[in-house]
Amino acid sequence: MENQLPLAGIRVADFTWVWAGPFATMQLAHLGAEVIRIETENRVCVTRRIPPYADGEPGLNRSGYYNQYNQGKSSLSLNLKKPEGIEIAKKLVAASDIVSENFAGGVINKMGLGYEVLKQLKSDIIMISMAGYGATGPESAYVSYGPAQVPMSGLSSVTGFPGFPPMHVGFSYGDPNGGLHGAFAVLAALMHRARTGEGQYIDLSQWETSVALLGEALMAQEMNGEAPPRIGNHDEYMAPHGLFRCQGEDRWVSIVVASEDEWQRLCQGIGQPGLATDARFATVAERKKNEDALEALIGSWTGVRTDAEVTQTLQAAGVAAFPALTNKELTEDKHLDERGFFVEHEHPEVGARRHAGVPWVFSETLCQVRKPAPCLGQDTDDILQDILGYSADEVATLRANEVLT
Amino acid sequence: MSDQSPTPHPSPPGPLHGIHVLECGHMVGAAYAAKLMADLGAEVIKIEEPGGDDARRRGPYPGNIFHPEKSGLFLYMNTNKLGVSLDLQHAKGQELFRRLAQDADLVVHNYPPAQMPARGLDYEELHKLNPRLVITSISPFGQTGPNRDYHAHDLTMWSAGGIVYLSGPSGREDLPPLKAFGQQAGMQAGVNAAVGSLGALFGRFKSGQGQHIDVSIQECLVAIMENNYISWPYDGTLASRLGFRLVPQDVLACRDGYIYVLAIEDHQWNGAVELMGNPEWASMDLFQDFPSRSGNWDVLKPLLEDYLQDKSVQETYHAAQARRVPFAPVSTMGDLLDSSHLSARGFFATIGHPEAGSLRYAGAPYKFSASPWALRSPAPCLGQHNVEIFGGRLGLGQAELDELRTTGVM
Repeated sequence: MENQLPLAGIRVADFTWVWAGPFATMQLAHLGAEVIRIETENRVCVTRRIPPYADGEPGLNRSGYYNQYNQGKSSLSLNLKKPEGIEIAKKLVAASDIVSENFAGGVINKMGLGYEVLKQLKSDIIMISMAGYGATGPESAYVSYGPAQVPMSGLSSVTGFPGFPPMHVGFSYGDPNGGLHGAFAVLAALMHRARTGEGQYIDLSQWETSVALLGEALMAQEMNGEAPPRIGNHDEYMAPHGLFRCQGEDRWVSIVVASEDEWQRLCQGIGQPGLATDARFATVAERKKNEDALEALIGSWTGVRTDAEVTQTLQAAGVAAFPALTNKELTEDKHLDERGFFVEHEHPEVGARRHAGVPWVFSETLCQVRKPAPCLGQDTDDILQDILGYSADEVATLRANEVLT
Repeated sequence: MSDQSPTPHPSPPGPLHGIHVLECGHMVGAAYAAKLMADLGAEVIKIEEPGGDDARRRGPYPGNIFHPEKSGLFLYMNTNKLGVSLDLQHAKGQELFRRLAQDADLVVHNYPPAQMPARGLDYEELHKLNPRLVITSISPFGQTGPNRDYHAHDLTMWSAGGIVYLSGPSGREDLPPLKAFGQQAGMQAGVNAAVGSLGALFGRFKSGQGQHIDVSIQECLVAIMENNYISWPYDGTLASRLGFRLVPQDVLACRDGYIYVLAIEDHQWNGAVELMGNPEWASMDLFQDFPSRSGNWDVLKPLLEDYLQDKSVQETYHAAQARRVPFAPVSTMGDLLDSSHLSARGFFATIGHPEAGSLRYAGAPYKFSASPWALRSPAPCLGQHNVEIFGGRLGLGQAELDELRTTGVM
C-alpha cells in the first residue's frame, strides 16, 4: 500500500523551520514522500518551544504546534555549525530528490548549502527557498515572521470593521498559505523533472504568495485607483451577510443570502413571511440600504436560539448558515469525525491526541498521516546508517564530537 | 477562428507544459486551482455554463460599471486559460463534456456534491471513458458526511473552519468575530486542490491510473489554524479573539499610515526600545519581560502610539529592520503596486484584454529557474474558444456548431 502512494520513493531533505516550510513539507509527507527534517538541539525549532504543551507540561517533544505540523516526518539532529555536519547534510542532499529551506534570503548560501553547490552533488535536485521576502530584491535580508505577512500583503488594509483601523486575521495566515503554494511549486517541479530529467531552483516569497490571495483588491486599485473599503462582515453584493449573536456566551452564527430566492426562503424559514413582501428588503439593493434594520430583525430571531438550531432551521430552508465553531467544537465535530479527518497516532511522549489530518480524500491511493511527528533527533542513527552508510562506530564518533547535536 | 493572443513575454514552457485540465464551477475554488496550473504552463479549458461564472458578476469593474468581461475578480482568477461555454444540464452539453474529458488529464470543479453525479459526469462515469483521468471535487464539507449538502458561502465556511472565531478587535465582546477580506476559504480550497491534483498526476507516472480527490473546504481551514485548533486536544485552551495574546504584535498608527509592530522576544523588544531612543519608561518593571509586557499592554500600547504618531511608516520600518526588529508596513494596495522590492523582483505582470484593456496583475509568487511562471494570455471572454475547441479539437462541423448555438448548448 505505502509504495503505491503518489510520492513513494521521493526523499525530501527538509531544512525548513517554524511553520511555513514545515507546512509545505507536511503536504509532501501526506502524499507519500519521505521527509527528513534536519534539526538541531542548539537552535530548536520555534514551534517545539511554543504552547500548547500536552497537559500544559512543557517539553521539546510535547508541543501541539510542532506535533500538528510535522506529522509523518522523520527527524535528524545535526549541528550545521560543524564542517562534519555540513558534510553529512551534503550526503543527504545527494541521496534526496528535494531540498527545502525557509531561512531569511541568502542565509542558506552563507551556510555553504546554496543551490549552485547542491546541484553539483545531485544534478537533478529540486530546491525550494521560501523566505518571507524571497531570495532577491532590496529587502530580501529583512526579518520576516508569518504574522507580519497579513499586514504586509495588504490583507489587513482591506479587513476590518468600518471606522476601525486595519485588522489582523487572528492567525499567522502567511505561513500555511506560503507552505501550500510551496508544496504546489515543488510538485510542479517534480512534473517537470519527470518530463525533462531536469531539476531546478524555486525562489518563493511568502509576501508574494500572500498578495496572490488579494487579486481583486489589487485590481480595484489598478482599475479605479481605490482599494475596497473595510466593511466588516458585509458584502457588496449580498445581504444579509454577517455573523449574528445566538444564545450562550460569545456564540455566533454566520448567515448569507445570495439571491432573491434565498431571501424568500429565509423569511419563510424564520417564520416571518410578512418580511418577504416588506419593501425595505425587496431587493439586494434595498437590503443593503436598510442593512442595520435587516440585521436587527435577524439578530432578534437568532438571539433567542442556539447556533445549532439556527443552522438547522436555515439549512432546511435552503439558506447558507453555520455556527462560528470553536476549537473545542471542531474536535467534537461528528461530521469531521465521520469523514475520518482526525488523526490519533500514539506518540511516545504525548500519547494519542486528536490532530487535524489531510483535507483531501484520494479514492485509490489513500493519503493519510502515516506516523506522528518525530521527537527531536529520533531518526538520526537510522538515517546515518541506513541511508548514508555510516557504521555504528562512525555514528558514535560523530556523536562524541558533537556533530549530532 | 482560433484566437492568437499576443505573447508579450516569450518564455520557455512552464513546468506543467503538456498537462490538460478541464475546469468548471463558480467563483474561486476550482478557478484558483486551475489558475495555479495554467500560470505554470498547463492547458486549462474553463467551461462556463450559460450566463458564465458567478465571478463575472462581482467587481471590481472599471469605473464601477458592471460588465461581465471586466470583472477584476474574474480577470485575475482566469489568466492563461481557454474559455468555452457549455450547458451541462443539456444532454448534448454532457456528451461534449465527456468527449473533452476523454483527452484530459484532470477535471477540477467546485459544484455541490450532488450535481456532477446527477449529470452523469462523476468519477465513476468519467473513469470508464478515461481510466487515467484525475478528478478533483471541491465542496464546502466534502463528498461524504452528514453536512455534505449544506449550503455555503465564503463567510459561512470561514466560520465552519473555525477561523472566524479567532479574529476581531481584542477586548470587544460586543462585536462579532470578523471575516478576512475576499474569498479566502475558496482560495485555500483552490491551493489545496492544486496540491492534491498534482500529487495524483505525479503518482500516475507509476500507477498509470487516475483517481478521485475529495477536497473539503472546512478541512482545508481546520488544517491551517496555527496552534489554535490543536490547543484544545493538547491543553484544553479555548482559542478565541478575546483570549490572551503575546505583545507587542499590533497594527498602530503613524503619521502617514499604519505599521505592524512585532517585538515579542527580548532581543526584538530591546531593538525596538533602542529604535525609540531608549525612552525612560521602557525601563519600568512593567515591561521587563515578555509576560509582563503582555500583561500590561493597556499601559504599553498608548506609549507606543505616542512614539509613532509623528513618524513615517517607511522610515520606522526600515530603521526597525536595520536592528533586526521584524516590524512591517501595513500595506495599502497602492503601496504594493509602488513597492520597490516587489518591483525589483518583477512581481507584477501586465497584459492586455480585449474588453478590459491593459492592466497590472499580481504575478509570479515563485520563480522557477528552468521553467518559469508566465502570463501568456488574459482571461477568456465567455465562449471565446468555442470554435477552436469544439470545432478544431473535437471536429464538429459548421452545421453542428450552429445547432449548438441555436439550441443554447453553447
